[in-house]
Amino acid sequence: MKIDRRSFIALSIGASVGIHISPAPWKLMDDAAIWTQNWPWTPVPERGEVSYVRSVCTLCPGACGIMVRKVNNRAVRIEGMKNHPVSSGGICPLGLSGLQYLYGPARVKTPLKREGKRGEGKWKEIGWDEALSAVTGQLADLRANNNPQGVAWIAGSDRGTIPRLIDRFLSAYGSPNFIRPAGAADTLEQAVYLTQGQLGTVAYDLENTNFILSFGAGLLEGWGAPVRMLHLHGKRDKSRTIVQIEPRLSDTAAKADQWIGINPGTEGTLALGLAHVIIKESLYNMEFIENAATGFAGGADKDGQTRQGFRDMVIENYAPESVSRITGVPARTIEDLARRFARADKKVAIFGRGQGSLPGSMSDGLAVHALNALVGAIHQPGGVSVVSDPDFAKWPESSIDETASQGRQQPRIDGAGTDAFPYSRYLMTQLPEIINSASGDAPIKALMVSEANPLYTLPDTAAARKAFDRIPLIVNFSTFMDETAAYSDYILPNHSYLERLQDVPSPEGLPYTVIGLAKPAVKPLYDTRHIGDVVIEMAKTLGGFVADAFPWNDYESFLKDALADHWRQLNGKGFVEIRQPSSELAPYEFATASAKFEFLPSTGTDTGDDKLPAWPQSAPLPIEGDAQRFPLVLIPYDSMRLANRNIANAPFMTKIIDDTILKKQLVSVEVNPQTAGRLGIGEGDTAELSTPRGKAVVRVHLQEGIQPDLLSMPRGLGRWGFPDDWYINDKGVNFNDLIGPRPDPLSGLDTAWGIRAQLTRV
Amino acid sequence: MKATEAPLIPPGVKRCPTWQFVVWIGLAAAVLAWGVYAMILIWWKGLNQTNMNDAYGFALWIWADLAVIALGGGAFFTGFLTYIMGQKKLKAIINYAVIIGFICYSMAQLILAIDIGQPLRGWFIFWHANVHSMLTEVAFCLSCYFAVLVIEFIPLILENPKLQAKPFLHHLSHNMHEVMAVFAATGVFLSFFHQGSLGGVSGVLFGRPFAFREGIFIWPWTFFLFTWSAAACGPCFTILVTWLTEKITRKKLVKQDVLQLLAKISGWMLLTYIIAKTADTLYWAMVTAPSKGFAMMDFYSNNPLYGIWILIAEIVVCGFLPALILITKKGRENSFFMMLAVVLAVIGVCINRWVMVLQVMAVPLFTFKDWVMYTPSWQEVATTIIPVAFGIIVLSLAYRYLPVFPQEKELNPVGGSAK
Amino acid sequence: MTQTNATKYGMVIDLDKCTGCGACMVACYSENNVPFKKDESNKLDSINWIRVFKISNRKPYPDTEVCYLPMPCMHCGGIGDHGHSPCVSVCPATATDYDHSTGIVSQIYTRCFGCRYCMAACPYHARKFNWWDPVWPGDMEKYLSPNVSARMRGVVEKCSFCFHRYQLAKDRAYHEGRHQEPLGENEYQPACVESCPAGAMTFGDLNNPKHAVYTLKKNPHAFRLLERLQTNPKVYYISSREWVRRAGDNYLSHEETGSIKRAAANHH
Repeated sequence: MKIDRRSFIALSIGASVGIHISPAPWKLMDDAAIWTQNWPWTPVPERGEVSYVRSVCTLCPGACGIMVRKVNNRAVRIEGMKNHPVSSGGICPLGLSGLQYLYGPARVKTPLKREGKRGEGKWKEIGWDEALSAVTGQLADLRANNNPQGVAWIAGSDRGTIPRLIDRFLSAYGSPNFIRPAGAADTLEQAVYLTQGQLGTVAYDLENTNFILSFGAGLLEGWGAPVRMLHLHGKRDKSRTIVQIEPRLSDTAAKADQWIGINPGTEGTLALGLAHVIIKESLYNMEFIENAATGFAGGADKDGQTRQGFRDMVIENYAPESVSRITGVPARTIEDLARRFARADKKVAIFGRGQGSLPGSMSDGLAVHALNALVGAIHQPGGVSVVSDPDFAKWPESSIDETASQGRQQPRIDGAGTDAFPYSRYLMTQLPEIINSASGDAPIKALMVSEANPLYTLPDTAAARKAFDRIPLIVNFSTFMDETAAYSDYILPNHSYLERLQDVPSPEGLPYTVIGLAKPAVKPLYDTRHIGDVVIEMAKTLGGFVADAFPWNDYESFLKDALADHWRQLNGKGFVEIRQPSSELAPYEFATASAKFEFLPSTGTDTGDDKLPAWPQSAPLPIEGDAQRFPLVLIPYDSMRLANRNIANAPFMTKIIDDTILKKQLVSVEVNPQTAGRLGIGEGDTAELSTPRGKAVVRVHLQEGIQPDLLSMPRGLGRWGFPDDWYINDKGVNFNDLIGPRPDPLSGLDTAWGIRAQLTRV
Repeated sequence: MKATEAPLIPPGVKRCPTWQFVVWIGLAAAVLAWGVYAMILIWWKGLNQTNMNDAYGFALWIWADLAVIALGGGAFFTGFLTYIMGQKKLKAIINYAVIIGFICYSMAQLILAIDIGQPLRGWFIFWHANVHSMLTEVAFCLSCYFAVLVIEFIPLILENPKLQAKPFLHHLSHNMHEVMAVFAATGVFLSFFHQGSLGGVSGVLFGRPFAFREGIFIWPWTFFLFTWSAAACGPCFTILVTWLTEKITRKKLVKQDVLQLLAKISGWMLLTYIIAKTADTLYWAMVTAPSKGFAMMDFYSNNPLYGIWILIAEIVVCGFLPALILITKKGRENSFFMMLAVVLAVIGVCINRWVMVLQVMAVPLFTFKDWVMYTPSWQEVATTIIPVAFGIIVLSLAYRYLPVFPQEKELNPVGGSAK
Repeated sequence: MTQTNATKYGMVIDLDKCTGCGACMVACYSENNVPFKKDESNKLDSINWIRVFKISNRKPYPDTEVCYLPMPCMHCGGIGDHGHSPCVSVCPATATDYDHSTGIVSQIYTRCFGCRYCMAACPYHARKFNWWDPVWPGDMEKYLSPNVSARMRGVVEKCSFCFHRYQLAKDRAYHEGRHQEPLGENEYQPACVESCPAGAMTFGDLNNPKHAVYTLKKNPHAFRLLERLQTNPKVYYISSREWVRRAGDNYLSHEETGSIKRAAANHH
């Protein structure tokens, strides 16, 4: 058939009509829609059998009970464990984000050996055999050269069996240098030791308190066991008053019954000002002061020297008017607060700023602790007590060789426990200065790091990096690529917290003991190893006495052995709760020489250390920086939405940060509108923040709830360790880049609560 | 080259040289290509190519949609006047009004297809229709009316001399002309509803006190105001485009009395509309908004753009002023004032549509939230310009190859100076 | 009025208890496979089914007060509580629906074609659009829960009161032969409520006197957000602070906080 133009047109029209009345276009339309409903790049989660694993969250020391929901062998969600003695079924945003750590891209998937320069990010994947033999080889060499003390190990904590295993390893190896970060608990621990003669951590019976006087503690922002605190807040009724003292309207201050704005760094002075009113108006606990305390009235000490008593010292120096001048708190408020606090039925004063990761000054710690003593809140329901970890782990005796013995007798590299700082146990913040100022070779030859990220958390990170540059060998057991891992020579990746078995010590501040068991929720995803197994294997490779100290095949058999009596309950329930009297001592009995609470510690004089003044001066320590060049003051703040310790925020955590805190890559500095007006800076402006230690570009957020002339910035941002983590990397500034350590003259612990600063618009 | 194109050009009229026409179309096509590139980018990568966000889910495109449909309202209203009200004089401009309507409506549908997050599921609006939704009503009426516009446009296309040569097409176009009144009536009916529904789109939002209006039965006052304003301002746009065409072709294409008539009717429509709009605004400002806790000035302060000026501009400068010009004989007969009034009316209806979309989204509903300001991305701007470029091309082709203006021959006897 | 005995799920959030920790938001992300982007600091394109706002009394130091305010979808009953929520009534494709047996406003992701009219209609900005394709980096796709489907680019999503948990609880009840009875209060709780460490959120049947929310919503300090718009939200708030309650709605300067609610109650 011949097709002319006319029939062609007719055919075309016919075909077009035909197609439209045929099912084809409609089918195609439908198929296209169905395709959009099943795009291959939109994942379809696999279904399967649902199960739960009972475990404990170890992302922070809060030790919440968790339930890991699984579908087949995938962990799909983390939930709070109902009726858990610490967390009562609650869970925090960090704990809920846990699976993003487990499955996240920052995992170190296999042992790595550094290829390029430190921090350059060039790695060679090596096998475990190669990694372990390289590391133990160098450790063996150091021992062979009689320098075992040249090894230091920075761990995240010294509690629980894993840190103890590491410490045991160091002991057998011959190093005294087990180091961990210190916090407010360490300062308080010393205050308690000096006044009460007891060793242990300070606990607060907050569940039974009627009046909480918090000197800046971020009770609702990650202090102590965070979920315990949040739960406690939710259970609160009118019978409990909370007064928050700090220069910035924190979330804790916002939820308190009263927020008292105070000049930063003068909290200890205010505590003594309150003591002044309480003493002057005879509101103190007479029974306690008369029967259980010394040093209140003063008198002659055993060397015959007259020492001014706490009472007279406070009466003389801390009248409300003068305290008001220093603290900025009106004298009336001081008087009113002192009366309310003293008259409350059960009360407690809490020392420590934010989450408590800054140790603070001994004088402040002692002042707050003395205030508690004054009102008789020691060893009383609703008050302060001292708890010590139950040592149920059975450690077999082991002997050490001559090399180890020699090494163990060397002074600690960080100066803790030396004559200068006899009562301090760990002084990690001193390390950079000690290493940087050492002449010749660095005093540390090999540094091991586990569950810690000192290059992020040490104040003055630039100095810390410089110090690390001098250490010949850095070995890291990090699960994730972080700042310190990026600066290491070898990474021997630990299982992530959801893949490993470990006991979890009782969280800080809890007046009873809850031991938890973290259990692997999933099988290890990558070529990682449990750090406990690695330590045991390293010891065995080193051989001799070191190996003898570790008679177990692996960590699991050691742990079962160690937890003997508790294993069954821990394995089943996930926790063991031990409610014993908070102290073995009777309420009014103390372990000091006088068997009383010593307002004027005698311990110092006993050791012949006459440097200890009658009462530690409580004048605020001057902060770093020249007031002319740096007219403002910068302080940090802690937030439940920002992981500020060794691990960086998971994407979910960063997602919940307000846009007033983080906008694109810039972190906001809180500024009072009055100050901002004077500086000519407005909301959302970009500005340069400078301190004597560093500079940073920041965004400005006007906030009425901060004292004029004060700047505040959250801790936890400014991560750079894992460049491929676009979700947190290079966002904001690390507060520790901008501040330096200020060692306390008595304890050597860091007291730097802030630093002078300047803010200029760019 | 004229030899090839000549049979396509209607007899008795003069058109510019082909090269000139090609350059002109080429320029428009370049702009169109830019828009099409942006369109493809959006379809390929998704709506993240825009600057819209969760607060600004409706933005420039919805405004463009509402605006082109209001401006395309010249087609239905002129049709209504011509075929139903018997204003035969308007036959001189109805063709052009229909083409402008066709352009506006086809482009409105294209923008909607770009605007939705899942274009391949767009047909769900028909398949899973929710009868309570104003948008459903819009979709149905819009597509039906577009079909009507196509039917109205076809006979005109068939009048191309080359196509007229085919007896079948010749008869088809003739027969279609005969029944055009029926389609015009259908179009009027459909238009009344979809213009209204578009007004309803924002008027029913009882969660948005700036937009929400009370009304009759299911229809908020904006339903009627939108239809009314489209009827008033659509013809103004037809006049404006005709005037522009005359300027560009340097020819008189429509007799002045035709334009005057249309302008006069528009003027009265605009005046009555703007009175109703004022009443509506007063009622809203004094009753509706306060009942929800808002003072009128809450909607016009504390932001960098939306001051009270926009209300004055819409109602007084682009409402009463053009209406008064158009209803007065002197105003209409002065070509400057007439065109000023026409332009103002067009701007006025565009402001109205802008306010009813973009300002609605910008107003904060909580005392602790701020105004949300929005600047479109280049992709949004480029796609919003598609209708302009497309319109220029279609109008140029239609003018060149179709006997759009019945009075052209009479007004421009061949041999006269024409380009 | 005839429906007062029907189950109507709702929430009461005690703002005095909320500490702004953000656990509810993360609990929601992890329960509902909510995606995240490299930069989430633009809150106008950040998918949050529940977002915690921080509001302030704006007084100068040291009289400043702030309060956190979590905002999920309000599951509005609409004018007269007949189920014509602002969003449901406008959706052209019936992709969002008001379930009269629970009072929950649902969203069908596979039917939504992304016109965003519902977002324009919602005064609470509870609805979020998937401007991007979701991406889970590393091995994170492994943690996706099969209970909730992952959403594709171009559709709207929002809080469902964890409706899948309701369905699971219903299934369980059915298997246990309890399909006639209403679900127990603890059988069905959304993820945010369950995880709130401060216990600030309470969830249950607003019409059931045995459920805590029934009593809590009658607290003299209880209020709902933007009540004057007649959206009829099913999320109630409690705050002992007047300025917080006032921030929950819009008032002309002469109007007293809560006056409208009281007037409505008296009218009732």
